[in-house]
Amino acid sequence: MRLLFWCLSFCLTLVSGWMALSVAAVEPAEYNIVYIHVPAATCSLVCFTILFICSIQHLRTKNQMWDHIAAACGEVGLVFATVLNATGSIFAYAAWGVWWTPSLRLVSSAMLWFLYVAYLILRASLPDQQRKGQICAVFGIIAFVDVPLVYISARYIPDIHWPKIGFDSIWQSVAFGLAIGGALLLAATLIWLRADILKSLNQISKPALSKAEGTKYQN
Amino acid sequence: MSSIADTIRAIFVKDLVTEFRAKQLLPTIVCLGVIIAWIFRIAAQAASVDVSVAAGAVLFIAMLFAGILASDKGFAVEQENDCISSLLLAPVDAGDIYIAKLLVNIVVLCIFEIVTVPAVLILFKVTVTGRWLRLIAVLLLGNIGISSVGTLLGGIVHRTRAASSLLSVLVMAVLMPIMIPAIVALLLLFGPVVPQAVGAGTFGIAGDFKTAIGYIAAFDAIFVTVCWLLFGLVVGD
Repeated sequence: MRLLFWCLSFCLTLVSGWMALSVAAVEPAEYNIVYIHVPAATCSLVCFTILFICSIQHLRTKNQMWDHIAAACGEVGLVFATVLNATGSIFAYAAWGVWWTPSLRLVSSAMLWFLYVAYLILRASLPDQQRKGQICAVFGIIAFVDVPLVYISARYIPDIHWPKIGFDSIWQSVAFGLAIGGALLLAATLIWLRADILKSLNQISKPALSKAEGTKYQN
Repeated sequence: MSSIADTIRAIFVKDLVTEFRAKQLLPTIVCLGVIIAWIFRIAAQAASVDVSVAAGAVLFIAMLFAGILASDKGFAVEQENDCISSLLLAPVDAGDIYIAKLLVNIVVLCIFEIVTVPAVLILFKVTVTGRWLRLIAVLLLGNIGISSVGTLLGGIVHRTRAASSLLSVLVMAVLMPIMIPAIVALLLLFGPVVPQAVGAGTFGIAGDFKTAIGYIAAFDAIFVTVCWLLFGLVVGD
């Protein structure tokens, strides 16, 4: 099943890439980055939203599964946020001649990146497995306060980075849709894979932990 | 209702009395704030720009560092002799402990600003005649924002291996939505910056003073509420 997702996501991305380079190319040429930049943005926001929902679920149910999904979403979302910032930076250099400028939208997406780096640092530095999920869930909820700001600033506030681009052919809309679909599938597969790995890791470390605790009590 | 007020007052007074007797935190943060302002002043002089432009950012950075140190100290003292366990064993709501700690941090930051703000004003040759009330409003809202997140995250980091060193990263990352409008508001108060210049491109979201204040107040309300609700999950076992 996971393999099918992989293949489907690969095919969708390939097809959209081919279309972007041929029938669906936009003018001027540097605007073609929209086929990578916008799907990456969508995926990172979706990942962080899932992280937020899983954090609430983990606090409500105390089920470890939600914590594993939240951790996976944090890691995958950060990868997409990195792609978002990198492609954005390349576009800024091509279109405006600077790598970065302190416009609100650029600030807010960089802010998002730092926020989830902080989330992963926090996750890595909590020793207690039991409390880890709970504390990370709390941070995941506070961190999400900033996500709507990024979304609102990207859509509704006039800025240097304003979606000026409108698709004028059906091919472009199709290629754009395929690119977003492919990226979302890729994100889903990665989250699934990573959550499974975290679950297995947790299962492996559990007997070792109880053994250590046992010797502690014996002493 | 009165029992909640009593709880908050008891913890609030305990923490303030501890601080005034030990005198550990306040001298440190006041010195830190003045040194930060002084170093930036020298740098601004070297760059030979209009120095008052930097004043707003410098003041907020000093506040931020002071707030982080204060939040860290608030829980560091509770770790000694495992005082936090005794505090949690008391039949009080964790939210009340949060409010008390929050108020202590706000008061500490206010005392810090009584010294640091005049220092910044003098060093950067800024005059705020007739705009004192606006300045106090920005500072107070900034204090609430920094303390709200700082108090909760201070409780979190004392459970980690990295402890205090982690706090600054977490607080600064979360506080960005408050930092941007607060610095814009201070720029408009202090500097030769006209609202049109600020509003045009860089920070369109918080162009004029009232909008900036509105943003800080809105995020303060969100952060205080969320942190108050979540505090019990962080400290409780």
